[in-house]
Amino acid sequence: MTPDFSALIAKLTDAGFEFVIIDGYAAVTHGSAQVTRDLDLCAVLTEETIGVLRDALRDWNPRHRLTPQRLWFLTVPQPGAPVNNLYLQTDVGVIDVLTTVRGVGDYARLKAKAERLEVDGRVCYVMSLEDLIAAKEAMNRDKDAITAKELRVIAARRRTGGAT
Amino acid sequence: MESGSTDTAKRIFAEARQAGIDLDLIDTNLALPVRERWRQHDAALRLVLKLQQAKAAHDAGLQRADR
Repeated sequence: MTPDFSALIAKLTDAGFEFVIIDGYAAVTHGSAQVTRDLDLCAVLTEETIGVLRDALRDWNPRHRLTPQRLWFLTVPQPGAPVNNLYLQTDVGVIDVLTTVRGVGDYARLKAKAERLEVDGRVCYVMSLEDLIAAKEAMNRDKDAITAKELRVIAARRRTGGAT
Repeated sequence: MESGSTDTAKRIFAEARQAGIDLDLIDTNLALPVRERWRQHDAALRLVLKLQQAKAAHDAGLQRADR
């Protein structure tokens, strides 16, 4: 596996899969210096949107990374099966798709406050800094507390515009 | 008001330094466009994974030598 999250984002955007970048890669997008091992997204998961996601990832060998047999995402889940979250491994990195973010809400709620980005001519959305801090604080874990501190620095830097 | 927000920012920066966060790295990132933040992050992750693979291969070699 050779991680390339920006290629994943470009592919999903081009395919018309609607998502908000959340968690670690959202922090990176906002300026965090941390390294994250997965691309976390928030999206609505329906039969239709899962179909769009399948088509987008088809060439990158997508598999359910939390199943012992590494089930193939192109055939599992069956059409119509309810899906809350997807935890996938692909040739270009791990991608998790969640329908809700603890401490903040669902896709519609995140999208309402998300920041709109244009990267290489593609428009995508990243969780707002305020929401991201709230989500990190809601996790109540040491590593998230550190990230929350880093994000508060970025927020303060935005407000003051000065050096840290 | 402005003084208050500056004081708040100073407190946030001090807490972050205390937690071991390198504020210079954050400033460096903030000076970059998002595209470049993503590129640098993805390159760093690839390096981390390569180093881990190299370490695992090294450890496996040591285990074989022990037998």
